[in-house]
Amino acid sequence: MAKVLEGPGMEIFNKWGIRTPRHVVISTSEQIESLVQSNQWMRECKMVVKAHEALGSRMKLGLVKIDLDIDQAVLAAKEILGREVQGLVISQVIIAEMLSHDEEYYLAVTSNREGAEILMAKFGGIEVEDNWEKIARTFVEVGEKPTDSQLEKCAKDAGFTGELIEKMKKFASRLYECYDNEDGNYMEINPLIINPNDGKLCALDAVIILDGDAKFRHPDWNFSFASEFGRSYTEAEEQIMEIDSRVKGSVKLIEIPGGKVALLPAGGGASVFYSDAVIAMGGTIANYSEYSGDPPAWAVEALTDKVCSLPGITDIIVGGAIANFTDVKATFTGIISGFRKAKEQGKLDNVKIWVRRGGPNEAVGLESMRKLVDEGFDIHVYDRYTPLTDIAKFALKGEDN
Amino acid sequence: MSIVANENTRVVIMGGPAAVSAAKRMAEFSYLCGQEFQVTAFVFPPDAGKTAEVPFGSQFLAIPIYKTLEEVTTAHPETNTCLVYIAPNRAYKGCMEALDNDKIKFVSMITEGVPERDAKLLIKHSKKVGKLLNGPSSIGVVSAGKSRLGVIGGEYHNLKLSKLYRPGSFGVLTKSGGLSNEIMWLVSQFADGVTTTVGIGGDTYPCTDFVTYLEEFEKDPDTKSVIIVGEMGGDLEEKAAEWYAEKPRRIKLIAVVSGFCQESLPKGMKFGHAGAKEGKQGEGSARAKSDLLKKAGVIVPSTFGDLGETIKKTYEDLKATGQAAVVKDISPSDLPDLPLKIEEAVTAGDVQVQPLFKSTISDDRGDEPLYCGYPASELIQKGYDVPHVIGLLWNKKLLSNSEAEIVKRILMLAADHGPCVSGAFATIMAACAGIGMSQSVAAGLIMIGPRFGGAVTGAATHFRYGLQNYPNDVPGFLSYMKKNVGPVPGIGHRVKSLKNPDKRVEELKRSVKELGLRTPTLDYALSVEAVTTTKKDNLILNVDGCIACVLVDLGFPAESLNGFFVLARTIGMIGHWCDQKREDGKLIRMYNYLVNFAVSRRKEVPERQK
Repeated sequence: MAKVLEGPGMEIFNKWGIRTPRHVVISTSEQIESLVQSNQWMRECKMVVKAHEALGSRMKLGLVKIDLDIDQAVLAAKEILGREVQGLVISQVIIAEMLSHDEEYYLAVTSNREGAEILMAKFGGIEVEDNWEKIARTFVEVGEKPTDSQLEKCAKDAGFTGELIEKMKKFASRLYECYDNEDGNYMEINPLIINPNDGKLCALDAVIILDGDAKFRHPDWNFSFASEFGRSYTEAEEQIMEIDSRVKGSVKLIEIPGGKVALLPAGGGASVFYSDAVIAMGGTIANYSEYSGDPPAWAVEALTDKVCSLPGITDIIVGGAIANFTDVKATFTGIISGFRKAKEQGKLDNVKIWVRRGGPNEAVGLESMRKLVDEGFDIHVYDRYTPLTDIAKFALKGEDN
Repeated sequence: MSIVANENTRVVIMGGPAAVSAAKRMAEFSYLCGQEFQVTAFVFPPDAGKTAEVPFGSQFLAIPIYKTLEEVTTAHPETNTCLVYIAPNRAYKGCMEALDNDKIKFVSMITEGVPERDAKLLIKHSKKVGKLLNGPSSIGVVSAGKSRLGVIGGEYHNLKLSKLYRPGSFGVLTKSGGLSNEIMWLVSQFADGVTTTVGIGGDTYPCTDFVTYLEEFEKDPDTKSVIIVGEMGGDLEEKAAEWYAEKPRRIKLIAVVSGFCQESLPKGMKFGHAGAKEGKQGEGSARAKSDLLKKAGVIVPSTFGDLGETIKKTYEDLKATGQAAVVKDISPSDLPDLPLKIEEAVTAGDVQVQPLFKSTISDDRGDEPLYCGYPASELIQKGYDVPHVIGLLWNKKLLSNSEAEIVKRILMLAADHGPCVSGAFATIMAACAGIGMSQSVAAGLIMIGPRFGGAVTGAATHFRYGLQNYPNDVPGFLSYMKKNVGPVPGIGHRVKSLKNPDKRVEELKRSVKELGLRTPTLDYALSVEAVTTTKKDNLILNVDGCIACVLVDLGFPAESLNGFFVLARTIGMIGHWCDQKREDGKLIRMYNYLVNFAVSRRKEVPERQK
């Protein structure tokens, strides 16, 4: 799944007739001056300036400034841009028209196996989390559209009355159109407000998660996807994602600062069992990684390099089930050259390596790992006869079976 | 018995090279089980009408490729299963086609990265038509001893180790492809093996869920127990728990769920397969799933590591109650081995193969070509030149600098002789007829023979003969030639004479003297010339003869000598071809006035005899 930042998110909303506050995204405060020429509203309205990054709790971090005139907005942008937060340098801010409002509403579309649910609430903001059960829901089967009567019922169930019912119906059906046509996975507007200038509903925020797998049919998705876990991607993660996007098979990396046991397992399924096993033994993991689908050796070598470079690790777990078609010998060639380079750079001093694997060419692959002992590696190699996750146990105990 | 796939399964695979690779793995399985091959055809429009080669034991099967699925089920009506090995942007259409085909009863899709919306529409359609659609992202299905759909089970060696050649008592359902193999291996070690294993795929919305397959297993009397390997995210495990708790079930259900690590990780961090994603309110977590499964009476080992023991214990219980299948195990020696590929057998020293021919001059089996043992790059680095390569490849000798210099000069002198000579003219005619370079140059080369450029080898042979047999007797040599051969090859020129010497010959003679080379054959030929020119002014040593003598003196074998002319003239012919191409030379037609039509007059054709 692929998260979209607020700026491009609002563009997607606008494309489907969903109103948002007028806004601009900038990366230097100087840009404001030229934008003011073409954006009359920036001289007339009060504004909000927010860090335009994949960060949670921006308000708490002081990355949202409100009620600003143009001069104050320039100052706020200068203050926020370039700040380092959670290891990330803020490179963009979004400047939006500030719209005063009395009431906040909530509207979302969320995917499920059979289709989607439209969620409506006559409250918004932080109230939503606490009143989850009061949200009105209506189901739309995949390939269908919500009917007028079901939207009306949902709006009424949510407590909307009078002309707001009609407005919510129209807005919800536009959001569904947007979700359905843009291969949405999740779309949320919180808060949804009445724009005091024209009396129409307006999305003050855009939480959009798209289906990254559908990118091939959306040539206009000209933005890059943002990280989904409340922090931005690290340099190493971005490099591995870039490799992942252009090779056969896959290589994945997520860094977890402070962990002691590094993971270099094969397979989207087995890798999670290895993570579980380390944690069940009371260990901490320094990363999540995985390679699968018979990726080229150089891609596995690049991943190995990143894993070996994780700070403060004591063990590396090169685990894996019995592969169907990933060539053990070939992928191990990549891991071994990665290990050799890391060792030369002193990255593997006092690091123990634990290997367990099966699959095509397993005998040759495991033997070449075993031979690393002769080069001074602290490496322990097991074959299919040792249960999958036992090496996690050995690593945490610091001893062989 | 088994579910979904069995001995009557006949398969069409949609897709290109990946589909053929899968078919090869499937053929290995059929070979191991002593069955006929189950793939009837491929659907791959770019190659429609051709066949794909699939090894089966020591045979090679030719499996037809069609443009549409409709054509396959018409031509091979026994086809009842479709595997989808096509890219995500076309997989939806392929699956819909398969679901709508009356003959196809089961569809399995390996394609990864299928958009969720497409998967959901496929779920809806498969329910409407009442068929099972497995996947996306599925490694496949294997029914031990009966049928293999896709690459599930891995390489041949693993099929044997995991005893997939005969059915056991356990069913397996996993989201992960690698883990399906792992579980089959566990079941073969700790119990009697599997009936059927289904990789349902790790996407958020697998088209067929655990419950649907559990229903199938429940109906299969040979399956006594089923192992589910689940993941956090979605609700398939919860639904399976619900199903198991609903009423007493015949099968014993074992389940493990991954994703406990999520509890101690930063919020929102997501691992593993696309579908492994926790819900907003913590629903779908590994713990929630495990707890529900346990509550439903499912056997849930505390970690993946304990799964082996759990399987063992379950199998012991099945045996104790007489439920386990009575499996007659096959001794590994009774199972066929895959025939070795010839390269493997040669490497292993198991066979001796009579070579087709031998080669003594070059070897490209390493990282670069060796010319008579010398790496090409090293020759370059150490300053050697084209003539040295000619010396190595034509005569297996590394030339000295003076020798190389002479070879170079010979090539320079013989590279071209204008557009009118037979070779160049033939090349130009071909070029002007629009023929490609290699064919046009070949047309020119065909001209080289006894009358054009082909005198070099002959001259060399005879002058060498003269030097050996009539060393100090030129008149003796000439009368030998007159009696046995005719005119001396290499002597005589149409326009050149003593008074009008051939500049090329002069240059060559000067060169060999200047470089101080020993030239006994050339000297002999010159003594022959001294005699012949007294008879007639133009009976001089011509350029072919001169080249021939010099090269013989350098030690090149006589049979290689025409090669110098062929090589040198190729340079010129390529030039003529490029020239005509560049200048867009028009088609050449012979003028009537250049032909003497010495023909009969026109006359009536007699009637053909009946």
